[in-house]
Amino acid sequence: MGLLAWGGRLPGRGVGPLRPAESQRPQLQIASGGVTSVGRVRVNNEDCFRIVEPLNLFVLSDGMGGEAHGEIASALAVETIVKHCMAPASSEDKDATLIFGDMPMAWSEKTRRLSNAVHLANKNIHESAQKNPEQRGMGATVTAVWIDDARLSLAHVGDSRAYLLRSGALQQLTNDHSLVAEQVRRGILTPAEAERSEMQSVLLRALGAHPEIEVDAEEHPLFGRDVLLLCSDGLTRMVTEPEIAGSLQAEPDPNKAAERLVHLANDQGGADNITVVVVRVDMESRGWFSWLRRGAPKKSTANGAAGGN
Amino acid sequence: MAKLSLMFEEKLVKEVPVGNQPVGIGRSPDNDLPVDNLAVSNYHARVYFEAGRLVVEDLDSLNGTFVNDLRVERATLHDGDSIWIGKHHIKVDASGDTPVSSDSVRKASAPRINETMVLDTKQRRDMLQQAAAMGERSQFASGRLKMPTLVVLSGSSDQREYVITNKLTVIGKSKMATVRLKGWFKPQLAAQINQRDDGYYVGPGDKVPSVNGMAISGPLRLNDGDLIEICGLRMNFVFRD
Repeated sequence: MGLLAWGGRLPGRGVGPLRPAESQRPQLQIASGGVTSVGRVRVNNEDCFRIVEPLNLFVLSDGMGGEAHGEIASALAVETIVKHCMAPASSEDKDATLIFGDMPMAWSEKTRRLSNAVHLANKNIHESAQKNPEQRGMGATVTAVWIDDARLSLAHVGDSRAYLLRSGALQQLTNDHSLVAEQVRRGILTPAEAERSEMQSVLLRALGAHPEIEVDAEEHPLFGRDVLLLCSDGLTRMVTEPEIAGSLQAEPDPNKAAERLVHLANDQGGADNITVVVVRVDMESRGWFSWLRRGAPKKSTANGAAGGN
Repeated sequence: MAKLSLMFEEKLVKEVPVGNQPVGIGRSPDNDLPVDNLAVSNYHARVYFEAGRLVVEDLDSLNGTFVNDLRVERATLHDGDSIWIGKHHIKVDASGDTPVSSDSVRKASAPRINETMVLDTKQRRDMLQQAAAMGERSQFASGRLKMPTLVVLSGSSDQREYVITNKLTVIGKSKMATVRLKGWFKPQLAAQINQRDDGYYVGPGDKVPSVNGMAISGPLRLNDGDLIEICGLRMNFVFRD
């Protein structure tokens, strides 16, 4: 899955130090925000997310398993992925590539590493559950996005989702690995029937269930004014896609947009934990006539740091 | 009894117990736990027991409430957690007994109806086989074994045929577009095709494509044989073996 059609045409970049996209053609401006809520029904929050601003790395995970084990699984997933992506490129990284086998040659270093990180998270959760009998059956979904130089790397397992709002259209970038979604893909259920199904919580793939796992990974080009959304199923089961698109369009501040979506999900029942991460991408046009359109160059105030001052 | 300790740079500012009443946290002095800092909203958050669990709830504060670095709207607290509000943090001591009401006992032990589960290998195989058997009878499934392909009929592009393999296919002048348009004044992102569970949808980019001669008004599901026109490029959308 996910072979790159533009591979090979990009200037090859080595392993290099990890830094946010810098001055290579379009200047990327990224602002992000995220929020999680236990919801109105559950007592535990098994969701977890992390925004690593210096890397433009965004990870969201929804855990499952009795007692507090879902929380352990999702936290372990997020921690493993962030750690693996932050580690400077080293021999250890090459080992990871070996462990997890072949990947399309066209994939960028970032996509490979992100995909490896998800494999590693699966391994860690599975091993932890093997070692601790009380953790048996714990697992987690994960949706992870890494942005670099107008390109988005995406790795995904489970039924959390990534959406892209572009030109007014909300487009889903991930396939749910759930039974009902598979039935829709096979033409057995309609999307509306899937939404009413009692089998919605049955997953075909999740981190931790098996020692090895298939990871969906893709790369996509980014354009100015793109808005990216990562969310757990607590949002998408409560809030419709037009409502999601409307909220993202109405609220330019990523933190406020995330809060607005969480409020909507809670207002409509909040049956599950709700986690939302919103990322706004803008491209500083540096064409020869851009200063004519915009007047004097402005100092940008992008990168909305989540949190207090 | 559970206890909250307001800290500023490792110095203890104030300590309050959490009983049956919610503990209000904020800049206004009438809070149970006042925090004197401009980054803190007047009524910033509150902590209370619900169904036997200690819960923190952000009250639409301007700068947010964080539990162990995670921005939260509502979160269950555990012993040893830290709540961050501006530059202050509140240590959570939940080691003591929790106040119990009859309501909380009932709620905590109620079965979870919508528990997520993963199918094991055998269950998965059985269910997918069953699904496949049903799928063979549906018309749509036969199309799914074929590759969705864009065949260029006329216009300027880098290839004559494109097999759609990505969730999102970009049509435009961009170097990273799958279907690359050539020529002056072509937009970087002209249109895009999104693979969804129930099919392939063409949507607008900086331009609005036409399908079978009609400009689309929003993402439109493509059928085998549809004619797509965008920026002088005419393509057939077909399922190929």
